[in-house]
Amino acid sequence: MSGLPESFAVTTHGLSMRYGKQTALDSVDLRIPEGAVYVLIGANGAGKSTAMKVLLNLEHPSAGRAEVFGLDTAGHGPRVRAQVGYMPESHEHPYGWMTAGRLIRHVAAHYPAWDHAYAGRLIEVLGVRVQRRVGTLSKGEKRRLQFVLALAHRPPLLLLDEPTDGFDPMVRNRTLAYLAEHLADTPTTVVIATHHIHEVESLADHVGVLSAGRLVAQMSRDELRRTVLRYRVEVPEGWEAPPELRTPGLRRSRGGREVQWTLIGEERDVTARLAAAGATVRDVTPLALEEAALALLAEGERLD
Amino acid sequence: MLEQVRIVGLSLRIAGLLVAAVLAVGTVMIGVDLVGGGRGFDADDTFPTALISFLLPFAVWKNDRPFRPVFLWTLPVDRRQLALAKVFAGLVWLTAALTIFLAWLLALGLLAGVSPALTFMRVPFGATIATYLFGSALVVGLRYPLRWLLGAAGVFFLVGSLSQALESYSGVQSLLGSSDLYYATENARNTWQTLPGLARWALGTFLPLGAGLAALWPAASRHKENR
Repeated sequence: MSGLPESFAVTTHGLSMRYGKQTALDSVDLRIPEGAVYVLIGANGAGKSTAMKVLLNLEHPSAGRAEVFGLDTAGHGPRVRAQVGYMPESHEHPYGWMTAGRLIRHVAAHYPAWDHAYAGRLIEVLGVRVQRRVGTLSKGEKRRLQFVLALAHRPPLLLLDEPTDGFDPMVRNRTLAYLAEHLADTPTTVVIATHHIHEVESLADHVGVLSAGRLVAQMSRDELRRTVLRYRVEVPEGWEAPPELRTPGLRRSRGGREVQWTLIGEERDVTARLAAAGATVRDVTPLALEEAALALLAEGERLD
Repeated sequence: MLEQVRIVGLSLRIAGLLVAAVLAVGTVMIGVDLVGGGRGFDADDTFPTALISFLLPFAVWKNDRPFRPVFLWTLPVDRRQLALAKVFAGLVWLTAALTIFLAWLLALGLLAGVSPALTFMRVPFGATIATYLFGSALVVGLRYPLRWLLGAAGVFFLVGSLSQALESYSGVQSLLGSSDLYYATENARNTWQTLPGLARWALGTFLPLGAGLAALWPAASRHKENR
């Protein structure tokens, strides 16, 4: 490592958001490094969309603050939004009466950095029918149109809220491949909010896990691979796991002597704890992103 | 700003076509009346332009509810500036529509033999624009403008009903002053049968416009971003 301090595209500091008695975000401290593809994972209603709206200054937090490229989002809303490409969760567009082409021209008029040639290429590659009225497009077509609107000004930050929702598998793969190509061409930080983790697994290099408005975990993919692992251990007859190891991931095999479960922590420490509890580690395997995220979510819920 | 003018114009095109259809029907009716020997067009006729312009902001903002995280606010422009741009875009189209309406009236007036000066007074530009600004202030500044509007109409109706029901009680009648209000408006109408002096015209035009702008500014400022 160079030893240089990491620069962040997005930071939030004690960000909280309440709607009446309901808490959407609870003291969230996001740290999203520049150039990362950060996948924000959580169940429906975990606060993912709310976090994105706060970053665009569409919602005012009840407490705390957010920064995008060092700019306070509440104080520099227009400057922040000029640097962001946003794909909202909803595929419905309020200007359904407009043609897709007119909507693209309308959005383009507000971005000095709009790349018309690139927009044209995106329209062609993604097959957006510009002469059709937005309201008559299918869900998938509306999502592709939103994709064009988010990418065509080559923003340094992309906020994609459930980006694959509404795509059939073929279009999804094509769109994600194009996103990967865009990332290779244009230096971009991407935040993807999703609960379809496996769909974006190939892109993700950082993960944040939101559970009921709390950020229960945030780490790089490497750290995730290193610290969220599946252990297969052999235990004595009638063995009971000590309380600190009783996680929701515990799964006993049929014979009763072999136990398999997902544990969070450095492998060396976990192995030592297991050994101290009388278990012998037979095998340790890293998890796919989705499995690891589910383990982190379960752990977060257990700690609540 | 220019883009907002274009977009608001596009969003109002169906309403515009409806107005054009009404004018076309009106033209035919007046034409038939004139051919039949009637007066066709009367200088005393009044038109609800102020009421229509008060409701116009609801049409201008029908796709963007200002107190929600709507698409409009995702654009990289200061929200207060954007809100004012949208209001003024609507104003541009309202002014254009009023001008066309006035030209239509003048043409009909000439056919019916009504003096252009009297026809001109049938279109209260200042009041129409002022009610548009008040309507816009309502839509932009209040989270639930329709509820406020219906509530106010309900209160007005209640007070009117109460006034009628208690008319025999002179104390209540004078307190509500419904008859006084009627005579006052009638007098005002009579006064405006002739062209006003410049000072009165300026007062009558700029006072409501100023009040409309004064209402619009704090309403738009509710969406100001730098907090």
